[in-house]
Order: sequence, then structure tokens, then C-alpha cells
Amino acid sequence: MTSEDLMHFVRTRKGTFFSVALHVAVVCWGLFSFSARSMVAPVEDLVPVDVISEDNISKAKAGALLGKKDAQKLLADKIGEKKPTEDIVGKVDTKQVTETDAAPEPKPKPEKPVEKKPDPPKPVEKQPDTPKPLAEKKPDPPKPAPAEKPKPEEKKPDAFNPDQIASVLNKDKPKQPPKPQQTAAATPEPPKHKSERKYDAERISNLLNQKDPTRQAVTGPELNANASLGTKGGAAAENSASWIALFQQQVNRCWKPPYTSVDANPVVAFNVRLRRDGSLEGPPVPVGAANTPFLQSYRDSAQRAIIACAPYNLPAQYYDDWSFFQPVFNEDSRRT
Amino acid sequence: MNNSSELRRSLISPTRRELIAGAVALGAAGLGAPRSALAQKQVPIQPGEFAPIPIAIPPFVPGGAGDGDVANGIAQVINNNLKRSGLFAPVDPAAFPERISNFDAPPQLASWRPLNLQGIVTGRATRQPDGRLKAEFRLWDPVSGQQRTGQQYVTAPEYWRRIAHIISDQIYTAMLGEKGYFDSRVVFVDESGPSERRVKRLALMDQDGANVRYLTRGADLVLTPRFSPSSQEITYMEFGQGDPRVYLFNIETGQREIVGNFPGMSFSPRFSPDGQRIILSLQQGGNSNLFVMDLRSRSTTRLTDTPAIDTSPCYSPDGSQICFESDRGGKPQIYVMSANGGNAQRISFGEGSYSTPVWSPRGDYIAFTKQGGGQFAIGIMKTDGSGERILTAGFHNEGPTFSPNGRVLMFFRDPGGTAGPSLYSIDVSGRFEQKVPTPGYASDPAWSPLLS
Repeated sequence: MTSEDLMHFVRTRKGTFFSVALHVAVVCWGLFSFSARSMVAPVEDLVPVDVISEDNISKAKAGALLGKKDAQKLLADKIGEKKPTEDIVGKVDTKQVTETDAAPEPKPKPEKPVEKKPDPPKPVEKQPDTPKPLAEKKPDPPKPAPAEKPKPEEKKPDAFNPDQIASVLNKDKPKQPPKPQQTAAATPEPPKHKSERKYDAERISNLLNQKDPTRQAVTGPELNANASLGTKGGAAAENSASWIALFQQQVNRCWKPPYTSVDANPVVAFNVRLRRDGSLEGPPVPVGAANTPFLQSYRDSAQRAIIACAPYNLPAQYYDDWSFFQPVFNEDSRRT
Repeated sequence: MNNSSELRRSLISPTRRELIAGAVALGAAGLGAPRSALAQKQVPIQPGEFAPIPIAIPPFVPGGAGDGDVANGIAQVINNNLKRSGLFAPVDPAAFPERISNFDAPPQLASWRPLNLQGIVTGRATRQPDGRLKAEFRLWDPVSGQQRTGQQYVTAPEYWRRIAHIISDQIYTAMLGEKGYFDSRVVFVDESGPSERRVKRLALMDQDGANVRYLTRGADLVLTPRFSPSSQEITYMEFGQGDPRVYLFNIETGQREIVGNFPGMSFSPRFSPDGQRIILSLQQGGNSNLFVMDLRSRSTTRLTDTPAIDTSPCYSPDGSQICFESDRGGKPQIYVMSANGGNAQRISFGEGSYSTPVWSPRGDYIAFTKQGGGQFAIGIMKTDGSGERILTAGFHNEGPTFSPNGRVLMFFRDPGGTAGPSLYSIDVSGRFEQKVPTPGYASDPAWSPLLS
């Protein structure tokens, strides 16, 4: 559309043109005149930022896609001890002692594990695949089972797919030298029982179920049975702002500090011990001395507040934090 | 495919992977360790908005049949004092959960708890067989149930208000850790009559406006009364037949005398902190200079000698320095110099002009009247001139005087027109301004030191 066309349009359809122009004018006027009040940005916390790849994020968070958003801790499975395997053997043994029915066959088997003993070191050298040696060993005692058993074990390696969680698993394994040691520790046991060991057909299912204990997720210092999406900052478990704010709010309800002279900057602290129900374990113990009459009355007012406002309603999961802490009462910018 | 990608990955990024694993492990360790180390976490608690301290002062228990009025009166005066300070919020008696009948026993703490009080006062007033009044009080801590302070006083029955003021001061001190100011008086100029023929009399009252006494008859104009630290004497300026002169007036005896024998006009007198000297301005030609007179030896000493108007001198509480107003720099400003004279240092640098400086008894502030922009404001500044704060502004506020504890200022406000001036008080935060009741118009207040 050239400018002549535009002019022509304006000339021929004045009504439409003015209508459009007016609408634009009104909208513009509204835009500027109604936005007189600027937006107030909410105060936000500082968040440390690292630049890492997407892949790394998923590894670090080690979350499950369908996990709970609010989970406090990362999913972290316990690295199992090999109890089940050993126990089965052991139990069978003890029981066999009393029954002594089908004893003969098992006896030869124990010898094999003994022979394999030397083997563990090798797997250790092969290291990356630690679990395998373990798995191979256990299956040995029960002959029928072993054939099947190795398969599930071998399947594990299959789990190493490009999938993120799998890669996490993969990463974890190399990280865990202790495992070989565990296997080493475990191996000695079978020999102890070898003479008593007996094959029990009823236990086949147990044997089949034997898996190498593995840790499913990397992160998380503590065990947590619930899958999670991962915690955003990874510090949620350490986030104690909530109980602090709660305590401040609650104690402030009872605190009526004496009005200070303009330049006074009183600071008084107490050692406070709380029980799980939020009540005071004992009277708050002032820290330091109150040298002036004013500081004395300031401290008295704070002490009264701590006592008067108990019991406190604080989140139970942070009890470790608030069981014993030190409230510090002071003037900030209140008095000018 | 799987294998190859796996292989590639392990070849390419083992270090990065380790880095992340390491970082995660480090994070876990880092999070875990300080947690146990910081078992005793410091939690900062800051007060919210200022709120006056809630306190309950139920009527005192009458010791005998005829003591009811006094017992109620004492409690009322205490309530009024604490409330007027702005720092306390006495609870309405209608909210009291119990009637105190035994002054010696602690109140029923549980029933008072909902009021969230910081103190409960109980007391008893008894007329003794010898005709004197015995007043006792106890201040209870409503949380612990302990008695925080308690006293008993015996006096002539007519002084029951004074006892109430003293008890108020005791409560003030116990709760705030500072000296009170209730047991004090104020001298001021009482004004009556039409504005063109105003009668000005010297008057004396309790700080709460009660017990007004007139000290002069009003035949002559009186200005700028000031209290002696001894509390028995007032110095003021009076227009007599000749030039205005500075007088000394004894409250007890009613005697008065002219201070010094100066040629010309002498004005704006003030006592030294020890009460032994009077510092004043003396007009000399178009200028005025500061002089100090020793009341015992009657010797006078010149402190300033400038071709300017030096006036409104005031001693620091330790007597070592003097602040005064001078227009030597052009406009009236506040200067500070040694009590022996010498170089003066200007401390006020704001817009407008400053006058009537007065040093706080605490020594921390100098209060002043500031004129500018069509307003007369009352303000305070630190003694080095920093931290200036205007407490109240408007038309014609003037003449601040400090309470004995330096926490409250009294001044007068003259709206102009046909109305006359009134006294107001304001605390040094500027938060609690209120009118001081006087029988008529009043100006030029001066606070006494504590009586006891």
C-alpha cells in the first residue's frame, strides 16, 4: 500500500479511519495513564547459579520423572548388603543340620565357591562391572539355578542405556570401590558353611530373585524411599529459614521492648532449649552481662517474651536445629 | 549403538562426570557438616513496629474506710502519667479480670495472661493514726509472678499526687531502665486577657498540669523563666519601669532580686548546672554579648565580644561548654564554645535560621527552634551538629525545654490570630505529641529538675 493509497483510503473511508485512529489513541492513553503505578517486584532470595549441561542437571538431580515435586530428599536407594543370599545359605544350613535329608549333593558345590575365591580379585581388576563377580559367585552353590541366574545379572548391564538414570547408575558404579571389598568379605562366608550347605528346592525362587545390591540413584546423603523430581537447589533439607521465621513471628507477638533512646543499640542473646513439643526445657539463659539499667530492662522484656510465648509451634523435621539455639534480640532499623 | 555411545561418553567426559559426582558428594558433605557444628544457631529477633508497653494499674486498695478516694486517685494519676509518656499503654480497667483486694499477694497470673501485660501494679493507701498517708505499691512481673520492685511512702495527705508521681517514676525506671520525669514541675508564662493587652504571669505547675500556682501578679511583662537546678529558684526576664532586667525569684519565699547591675537591657538568662552562676545576654549598642555572673561573689565575666547578636546561652550538663545563638555568620545559627569563652564553633548548617538552643540533661542532644519556609519547627541535633531531626513543624512552635531525663520536650505553639499560645510536649522520637493542660493560654515553659 503506497502513501497515495493510504490517503485515498483516508479520504474515501473517513469514518473507518477515524474510528481506528480513535481506538488506537484511547488504547495508548490507557496504556500510559493506567500504568501510573509501577510494578513492585517481589523480593527474591539470591540463588547461586552454575552453568552446566542439561545432561548434568539430570544426573545431579537424579530425580524420577514421575516423582513427587515436594520431596525433601533426593531418591537414594540403599546399597544392599548381600544378606539375602548369604542368609539363604546359612538358613538352609542350620535347618539341614536337623533334617539331614538331601544333604549329599550340596557338599560338592561348596568346593566350587572355594575355588572361586581366588577369582574375586580378578573381578576387582575388571572393576567397572563389580556387580557381576558377585552375582556369579552366589549362583554357584545352587547348580540348577545358576544357569538362569547369570542371565538376570547380565541383563543389568543392558540397563546401561543412554537413558539418564541409567547413565547415573553407570556413573555410580565406578565410584564405588567398596563393593569389591564387600564381595571379598562376603566370599569368605560360604566356605564356613560349605560342609553344612545343602540345596533346597523350595528356595529356588529366592535364589532366582537374588540380585546384586545396587544403588539406584547417585545423589542424596540420606536414604529416601520416595522418588522425587529432585530438589531444585539440592539444599532443601538444609533450608531452615522456615522455622526461624516461625519462631521470630511467634516470639515477636509477646515481645514489647522498652522504647530505646535514639542512639542506643542494645543486643541481648539467650541460650534456649526447646522440647519436641515446642515448650521450654528451662528458663532462657542470658548470654553475657547487662551492664546498664536500660540493657537490663531490655533483656527482661526479651526474656519475658520467650517465656510468655512458649510453647512454640515449629516444624518437627527441623527439631535438630531448634532444639537448642540462640535468639539474639536487637534493634535494627526500627528506631530512627 | 548403546555400547558405542556409552563408550564415547566414557571417553569424552569422564572428568566432567567425576566433577559432578565430586560436586554432589562435596555438597552432601558440606551440607551435613556445618549442620552439626552449628548446633546453636543464632536467630536474630527484631521488634516490629513500636508499640507502647501494656501495663495494668488497678485502683489501689484502700487501707481504711475513708481512703477510697485517695486510693483511686493515686492509681489514676499513675495511669495518666504513664499513658502521657507515650511509652506505656495502661489497660482499660474494664478489662481487668479480677479486683485486687489483697495488695500483698501476687495477682492471679493466669487470669491476667490474655492481656499479654508486661507489668501489673498493685498498691494500698492507708491513713495512719497520726493523720499521715501511707502509700505502698508493688510491681509484678506477670510472666514469672515475681515482684520487680516495691516501695512505701509516708507523707502528709495533701501530697498524694506527689506520691503518685514518684511511684510513676519507679515504674518507669523498672520497666524502661531509665530515670523518669514525672516528679517534676514546669514554670511557664500564663497569659490571659485580650491579645492587645495580654496579662502575663509567672506560673508553676506539676508536669501533668495539676497544682497551678501563680508566682507574679501580672503587673509587669515576664519572659523566659528558667529553673535553677536547685529547684528553689527561678530566673526570668521582666519588663519593669526601665529596661528589661533579669530577676531571680525564690519559689519558697517569694523574694525576688535583680541579677547584676548592668547598663542597658539584660535578657535570656539561664542557670549553670551547679546553680551557682547565671549566664545571660547583655545589650550593648546594636549588639549583644554573653556574660556570666557568679551568684555568690556577684562578679561578672564577659564571654563573647563580637559585633553581632549573641543570645540564648545554655550550659552543657557538665558545665564545660556553652551553646548559644548568634548571627555573626549572617543569619542566626547555633554555636558551641567553651564555658570560659574563646573560639565558638558553628554547629547548625541547615536551611533557615536556628534559635533558642537548649542542651539536653542527658548531654546527647541540643534542641532548637528552626525558622524557615514560613514555619517554626522544633528539632534536635547531636551536640556536634549532626543528626538533625525536626520533631514537629508548623506555624509558630517555639522555646523547647527538656524533661529532667532528656526524653521529652515541652514547647509552646502560638497559632496566631485571636487565639493565644498553648503548651505541648513531644518525645525526642517525635512520635507522641500532646497538649499540656493549662488554665489559660501559656508560653515559655521551663522544666524543673526532678524534685526528689
